[in-house]
Amino acid sequence: MRESTLMQMQYVTAVLAVLLVGVHLLMQGVLVPYGEAVSFQRVLSVYRDAVDGALLEILLVVVLAHGFNGLRTILIEWRQTPSWTRGVNWAVLVAALATMAYGTRTVILAATGQVS
Amino acid sequence: MAGEEVVLKIRRFDPSLDERPRVEAFAVPLKEGMTVLDALIYVKSRLDHGLAVRFSCRMASCGSCGMKIDGRARLACETQISSLPRGAVAVEPMDNFPIVRDLVVDLERFFARHAAAMPGLVRERDPEEQESPTGEYLMAPGELESFVQFTYCIKCGLCSSSCPTASTDALFPGPQALSQAYRFLADPRDEGEERRLERVDAEHGVWRCHFAGTCSAVCPKGVDPALGIQLLKRHVMSARSPFGRKKRRGAPVFPNPNGDLLGQP
Repeated sequence: MRESTLMQMQYVTAVLAVLLVGVHLLMQGVLVPYGEAVSFQRVLSVYRDAVDGALLEILLVVVLAHGFNGLRTILIEWRQTPSWTRGVNWAVLVAALATMAYGTRTVILAATGQVS
Repeated sequence: MAGEEVVLKIRRFDPSLDERPRVEAFAVPLKEGMTVLDALIYVKSRLDHGLAVRFSCRMASCGSCGMKIDGRARLACETQISSLPRGAVAVEPMDNFPIVRDLVVDLERFFARHAAAMPGLVRERDPEEQESPTGEYLMAPGELESFVQFTYCIKCGLCSSSCPTASTDALFPGPQALSQAYRFLADPRDEGEERRLERVDAEHGVWRCHFAGTCSAVCPKGVDPALGIQLLKRHVMSARSPFGRKKRRGAPVFPNPNGDLLGQP
């Protein structure tokens, strides 16, 4: 993938993350009182709502893509050998996909009532 | 002024002899209008012939005498001693370059990166026009204004020496090469866009600039390489995107009605 494509993704995910984290924080303490927002049943109900659950999944993917790409940028600036750069690219891709898969699994389990 | 002296604290280092750099102080009689280069020439001619310092034009035109003066990258020939804080003047070689000896640094990699930016017009459709010009390439004044400041670069290396990314990423081309790449990408006469984009849109290319802006702060010619890099980023994004605004390419030749460019009929 071209570096400009990755940077484009970085800019888009940054904007989306600001919006989605903003909505998330509103729901976690402004529109809904904090103590109520983090209660177990309330959290489960958020996952089970189609729109809120979808927003959580999008937030997960956006933040992970942005964060791991940022980590990749830091690491490839740290050392400059081709093998290091190649290794970092693959390691970060695998780590990002694994974390996304684990997070998505949690969203699916909670949304489908397999957590109670 | 008469009878006053300025002390230059010069960092000396010969990689073939010395284990580490040392600082030597030289007292130089101060004259009105004296530049740091004048003082260094005094040191070299009267006090220590072995001092290695590179200079040529003495008028901020050739870019040879770049060095660090009182901690900031400057041209020695245009730095008046009276413009510096009172007291001893610290003179060191530029950062981010291998030291040849004393204040002389090795610019080979710097010029190689400049060459890698392909600093010349690339014409695919009429390469013979560059060898045997029959007229002028048509370009609007506004198009020239979009890149003209980057043509003032004298390749002194001060921007690259003060760049924090260049000091940590050995493969980063540096602000000089990147702003020169933009200078030709923005030029409507040029047709080498794809080849240049491949070189700058890389893992250690234009995107590694953190926009510290030190390159622009130290440029002795008032060029803004940091702006050039930001414009280059925008250019890359536009060129790569199907929705991006594309620059005009391959300005046509306007035949010279008076014959060729040498005035021959």
